[in-house]
Amino acid sequence: MGVTCVCQLPLAEGKSVQQTIDLLHKKLEQLGAVKQGSFTVDCETYHATGNASGQPTKLLYVMHNSETPLSCIALFEGGPCLTADGNFDVLMIKLKSHFQNAKGHKVESRGSRYRYCDFLIKVGAVTMSSSARGISVEVEYCPCVVPGDCWNLMKEFMQSFLGPSIPELPSVFSSKPEGLYAPVDCVDTMTQYLEMFSKVRKQQVLPGTTR
Amino acid sequence: MSGVGPAVRVSIESTCEKQVQEVSLDGMETYVPPLSMSQNLAKLAQRIDFGQGSDSDEEGVEAEPRDPQEWGKTEAEEDEATVKFQPSLWPWDSVRNNLRSSLTEMCVLYDVLSVVKEKKYMALDPVSQDPSAGKTPQVFQLISKKKSLATAAQLLLKGAEKLSKSVAENQENRRQRDFNSELLRLRSQWKLRKVGDKILGDLSYRSAGSLFPHPGTFEVIKNTDINLDKKLPEDYCPLNVQIPSDLEGSAYIKVSIQKQAPDIGDLGTVNLFRRQPKAKAGTQPWHVKLEAAQNVLLCKEIFAQLSREAVQIKSQIPHIVVKNQIISQPFPGLQLSISLCHSTGEKKNQRASPEKPKPDDHLYVLEHNLHQLMREFHKQTLSSIVMPHPASAPFGHKRQRMAGPMAYDKAEISSLQQNEGLLEKIIKQAKHIFLRSRTARTIDSLASRIEDPQIQAHWSNINDVYESSVKVLITSQGYEQICKSIQLQLNIGVEQIRVVHRDGRVISLSHQEQELQDFLLSQMSQHQVHAVQQLAKVMGWHVLSFSNHVGLGSVESIGNASAITVASSNGEYAISVRNGPESGCKVLVQFPRSQSKELPKSDVIQDGKWNHLRGPYKEVHWSKMEGRNFVYKMELLMAALTPCL
Repeated sequence: MGVTCVCQLPLAEGKSVQQTIDLLHKKLEQLGAVKQGSFTVDCETYHATGNASGQPTKLLYVMHNSETPLSCIALFEGGPCLTADGNFDVLMIKLKSHFQNAKGHKVESRGSRYRYCDFLIKVGAVTMSSSARGISVEVEYCPCVVPGDCWNLMKEFMQSFLGPSIPELPSVFSSKPEGLYAPVDCVDTMTQYLEMFSKVRKQQVLPGTTR
Repeated sequence: MSGVGPAVRVSIESTCEKQVQEVSLDGMETYVPPLSMSQNLAKLAQRIDFGQGSDSDEEGVEAEPRDPQEWGKTEAEEDEATVKFQPSLWPWDSVRNNLRSSLTEMCVLYDVLSVVKEKKYMALDPVSQDPSAGKTPQVFQLISKKKSLATAAQLLLKGAEKLSKSVAENQENRRQRDFNSELLRLRSQWKLRKVGDKILGDLSYRSAGSLFPHPGTFEVIKNTDINLDKKLPEDYCPLNVQIPSDLEGSAYIKVSIQKQAPDIGDLGTVNLFRRQPKAKAGTQPWHVKLEAAQNVLLCKEIFAQLSREAVQIKSQIPHIVVKNQIISQPFPGLQLSISLCHSTGEKKNQRASPEKPKPDDHLYVLEHNLHQLMREFHKQTLSSIVMPHPASAPFGHKRQRMAGPMAYDKAEISSLQQNEGLLEKIIKQAKHIFLRSRTARTIDSLASRIEDPQIQAHWSNINDVYESSVKVLITSQGYEQICKSIQLQLNIGVEQIRVVHRDGRVISLSHQEQELQDFLLSQMSQHQVHAVQQLAKVMGWHVLSFSNHVGLGSVESIGNASAITVASSNGEYAISVRNGPESGCKVLVQFPRSQSKELPKSDVIQDGKWNHLRGPYKEVHWSKMEGRNFVYKMELLMAALTPCL
């Protein structure tokens, strides 16, 4: 588990989601990256019910990542988060009276996983209720857990296949009280995914991108 | 009443209660006077039929002489006829009858007794027997005696039969009790259950986590084929067990490593030399039998597991499974064979094999480890299924439980799950054992072949199954204190040997024997030069040059030659040593120019100062030097060349 950076890739001009992904795959393969299976990141939304009226309802996101297959991560919007094992899903069913599952809000990113030396690149199509909404790119530099030590390296690497549209330093790292030199964990990755998902959710449905 | 009209006179008189005796002509009725109490009783008594119910006693009484007093009341006798007509008028009739008869009896008895007592009227005399009647002929006497004897004998026989029956019953009971107690003992050690009228037991390790499909049932039988009359043999046991025929006999797993491959015709025929299980004193025969059968079952399970893995695992050189043997090649030219030896009890006449299997052919450690691994495997399956575990996660390693909450990624999770099979583990262990023994042999053979310098090996006692280490010291005899330069730590792994040098260099050697031998030889040759260096320090000589790997001279096939040049304290003499692992040592001594006679006088260097130039080298006939080893010889040489003060 190293430092990760998740970003949304804008669509290439005149290309669909799948075509853009294919293009990116081709680039990665030319670079020398090796495909290593696939990955999935999903996110379910829960409304907290039964709280005092007047307060805005807080949203709870329960996320799974195929990279940590035994775990389940629950995040409050901008609040605390927890890492649990797979039984947390069962617990959420039991807590139905307090947290209601927003069925239509399930967001998922699915795609292939590439390895290029110490880098892991995951290019996925973000789907929301079976319509492709965008492309997510996750780059992980496995040997390092301190973002401040490897961010420039990652930036340079991302430039090699993403071109000019490289992301900024993720805000998760910069907003930490310990600064850039605090070790990262899987919650940071999931927070980035969550931010990206909510961005995707807000944007308009791209015309003609249903798969 | 008086106020109502003329009173009507009503005379009231009692009904005629008394019997009218006679009515006189004038109409006067004379009544029979009413009976007095006693008369009434007498009248009632007349009604009682004393004759009834006493008929049965009539005969016994008749023998007695009749006495007129017996019937004190004669009139009662006469009245009987009249009373008999109404037998059951009275509800107490039967009681009365019985009372009457008993009274009669009592009266008779009383009368007889009183008569006899007074002896006035009657005397009791014994009746004289007819003497002729007693005179029976002797034949009759004999017959009657015989008859009575026969009856007595019959009685006695009957009694004896009863006795013997009860004794047999007792014994049967005891046997039954023995069977039950044996059964109880069996139950305390083995799993039993009742199916129909049979008692079945379970031999298998299923409850311990085994997944082997063999049912492993045995049947408990009562030993009944013993003759009651005969004395019970010493080892008689009322309980017997019947084990499945394929589990009979004894079995063991044989693991061996062979150097050269035997021809294919020999495959699969493993010498089955039988090891009789020795019964410990005090154990039941069934226990020994069951334990042997269980061992057979475990061996079969191990072998089945190994052969399944042997077929499944893809290795560069495929594992061969032939009959009861699995053959694998851990190293080229080396064969690891794991075989299941199962000898049934009947096959005693095993063919005498010409090549007697050597006892050290076995790798007992591996056989033991196989059993242990199998049990570990059992425990794993058991603990993951049966054992109580937290609801959130399977029972197992704590790290496994923490994998979810700590968000372990794929690589970490896969490192937790060890999925190495039994065969892979045992092959790895075999490789390690082989490598270890070969290393030991190499070191030992070098140590015995080469006396100077000496090799010492210190083996560590505690080893891992996959790794062990040995410390190798190269020293010279008598100079252990000053020559400590070469200390090697050999870490023997599964595939290779890692050598850690004293100065921290790490060299990896493969499993090839030659590599280790060459390495040690080169180290030994270096040692000699190091020893000279150390000696020079002690002797006060100066080291002029030192090289572990000289680039000059003949090329060594193993490693490099090393060389050193030392000068005596006053600089007159110099000793140059070149030592190669193959070429051996060459010692040259440089003399001062002044001492050399054969050096032609040069025209150029006439001046006296040139005498200080170094002279020519002369080789020392090293083998002719006195001294027990190289360093000692060198010390003598140095001492000889050191100027006397």
